[in-house]
Amino acid sequence: MKNFSNTYIFLYVSALVLIIAVGLSVVSIGLKPKQEANKQAEKAQQILKAAGYNVERTQAIALFESVAKPYPQNGEREKYAIRCADGTTGMVVSLSGKGLWGAIWGYAVLSSDNTTIKGVSFSHKSETPGLGAKISEDDFTQRFVGKKLYDENGQFVSVRVMPKGKYGDVKEVNRVDAISGATITSRGVDAMLSKQLLIDNR
Amino acid sequence: MKKYLGPLSKDNPILVQILGVCSALAVTAQMKPAVVMALSVTVVCACSNFIISLMRNTIPPRIRIIVQLLVVSFFVILVDQVLQAVLYDVSKMLSVFVGLIITNCIIMGRLEAFALSHKPFPSFMDGVMNGLGYGLVLVIVSFFRELLGSGTLWNHPVIPQSMYNAGYLNNGLMILPPMALILVGTLIWIKNAKLGKAK
Repeated sequence: MKNFSNTYIFLYVSALVLIIAVGLSVVSIGLKPKQEANKQAEKAQQILKAAGYNVERTQAIALFESVAKPYPQNGEREKYAIRCADGTTGMVVSLSGKGLWGAIWGYAVLSSDNTTIKGVSFSHKSETPGLGAKISEDDFTQRFVGKKLYDENGQFVSVRVMPKGKYGDVKEVNRVDAISGATITSRGVDAMLSKQLLIDNR
Repeated sequence: MKKYLGPLSKDNPILVQILGVCSALAVTAQMKPAVVMALSVTVVCACSNFIISLMRNTIPPRIRIIVQLLVVSFFVILVDQVLQAVLYDVSKMLSVFVGLIITNCIIMGRLEAFALSHKPFPSFMDGVMNGLGYGLVLVIVSFFRELLGSGTLWNHPVIPQSMYNAGYLNNGLMILPPMALILVGTLIWIKNAKLGKAK
């Protein structure tokens, strides 16, 4: 094995770090506009999905601009008025919360009287594939369609996400089944809905 | 060609070298992420093996781990950035794995054990084969976990509704990590019984 001097080692690492740093920065700056465009399109696609539309990401922005318009904001949450796929109008409420490993977020489309969920879509940064990551799949989001935010006495209960068999006295129209094996992520969705749909209904 | 095939059976990274077990537990609840993870590890392992092998005579031994880590992270970040811009859907599937690839012991293990002392082409092949050997185990484990745990394969339901109506239930234990460990253990057992113990 060759013997390397300290100067050599120092220069070697400095040069390597410099090359890698410059290389990655150039790549990152060069690709940024495309990455941002992808993110915007994905957001539009997500909102449209909650409203019942099924579009490719490439067409999402155009369709979004034709059916949705920003709603006057009186809080920090983004809202949009949207014409849903079934022809009715609804309001899009943006949601954000935390899952097991990182952020989760999503959009809920409420009926015009703000009492019924017409559709939801969820995304996540880094939930476990096959477990928590299932919140973004149709199988889970379809469970929310038609659920009510209020009980029969007019009390706000949100839509609870509850493990099977542990419903307490929450009625069927006010809850959906949690994902088994993904307790923390399910609780995150539950907390996100309970907190953020209430503010928007005051 | 034959000398490169070891990682697929008698020198398998997971079953014999016991490398990369942590990610094998994390991503095998369903087949799709398992395959994506296997492909990304193969690409990163092959490319970093190749580059480290090219540099092997200039790397001072005292800081070789640091140099390896730099090269591996460079590749992983580069691949991630390009995917985010060009193949956004693939990147969404991969996002959670990026961190896991950098820390995957197979990559560092192969750099240390092979690339530092071999020529670039054999090193590249070694990376590819170890990635595939890793993938093979991931696919087998995720096949059983998804089938028995969720009743689906590649997200398509395969267990007929009539079975559920007759009282069949998915095995919830299958989608939790301990079951992956038990399946990997079973595979090691089968492998040892068929091919003899690792020396």
